[in-house]
Amino acid sequence: MHGIHDIGGMHGIGPIAPEENEPVFHEEWEGRAFGLFGATYVFAGYTVDEFRHAIEHIEPAHYLESSYYEHWLFAFEALLIKRGIVTREELDARVALLRKEAE
Amino acid sequence: MPVPHNAKPESEPALRVRALEAILAEKGLIDSKALDALVDTYEHKIGPRNGAKVVARAWADPAYKQRLMTDATAAIKELGFSGLQGEDMVVVENTPEVHNLVVCTLCSCYPWPTLGLPPNWYKSAPYRARAVSDPRSVLKEFGTELPDTVEVRIWDTTAELRYLVLPERPSGTENLSEEQLAELVTRDSMIGVTKI
Amino acid sequence: MLLTADIVPVVLATGATARVNKRVAPRFRVGDRVRVRNHNPLTHTRLPGYLRGKRGIVETDYGVFAFPDTHAHGLGDKAQHCYSVRFTAREVWGATASERDTLRVDVFDDYLDLD
Repeated sequence: MHGIHDIGGMHGIGPIAPEENEPVFHEEWEGRAFGLFGATYVFAGYTVDEFRHAIEHIEPAHYLESSYYEHWLFAFEALLIKRGIVTREELDARVALLRKEAE
Repeated sequence: MPVPHNAKPESEPALRVRALEAILAEKGLIDSKALDALVDTYEHKIGPRNGAKVVARAWADPAYKQRLMTDATAAIKELGFSGLQGEDMVVVENTPEVHNLVVCTLCSCYPWPTLGLPPNWYKSAPYRARAVSDPRSVLKEFGTELPDTVEVRIWDTTAELRYLVLPERPSGTENLSEEQLAELVTRDSMIGVTKI
Repeated sequence: MLLTADIVPVVLATGATARVNKRVAPRFRVGDRVRVRNHNPLTHTRLPGYLRGKRGIVETDYGVFAFPDTHAHGLGDKAQHCYSVRFTAREVWGATASERDTLRVDVFDDYLDLD
């Protein structure tokens, strides 16, 4: 699909501004998100191509604003919900619970 | 319960990842210790020092370089690096006439066994948009200027081949050991945004 | 399958190649002049939009791989050759581009026609 990810050659995107000595994971959750790929790939039966395509469906403004591992998180949720492994309600309920525990 | 002085609230993605990991672990579908192992591997064990060793070996040993240019996957495996996101490697050599630059415009494809995980800038829109259409301005942002007589060759990693740039060996390094040579090799030079 | 910590090293070292062990006839040979098809599906593709309709030269035949366009949608691997195709920057980006620079893009057999 010719979505927002298909960005080669687009103008006006701005400076690269590389970070010096950046850590492999900027936050702990990013490392967990990274690990979830291998852990879910081996049981859920999706291909890397399907995973990439899930990311391609992120709403364009959100794609550009959100961080890289947020893209992965979006794809995991989409793929696992599609396969009936988790539901949106389950995820939302758990997030609400974790948020409450942190207060 | 009072919030500790310096605590910031967990971000939404952090909460969602925690939720997902917890639910999948409770269902017996994932093992959190495997996630620990994956994080540890890419934080501490697999990184650009691997690629630097490949480059140094190629500089020091012409026969190895020949093997690297003919069958990069096999030659890189000789040094013990192989596997995920490096199953099909291609090494592209910088010369006085040709400067190579690697990008993945569509996502973030990168040769993990030799370079580890990619930096944020490589995966972000500005690099992906501009490397392929205006590589010289990208190189300039990294402090690299090339004369017009040099061909910049941009490799867009659209399929499952993974590319590693073999930088030119700097002059005055004839007497360095392979280990010392490896220390000169930067990650950015193996992506192609800088020369050594 | 449950991924456990003890098998992580071997899983990483093995990886998951997209190469397919099938004999498939290539439609193109090294040196062929090709034109990228106007392939613009709503579904998954690894043909970047900027390359549609552009003319290039086949530099390398990398062999037979799973085709992402079908593989992403559970429609099989439709195994085919993947080529490194050389394009001039001018061809792809027009007159403002460098005269000398080139693009090398990995292009699947189904994305190309003979020019």
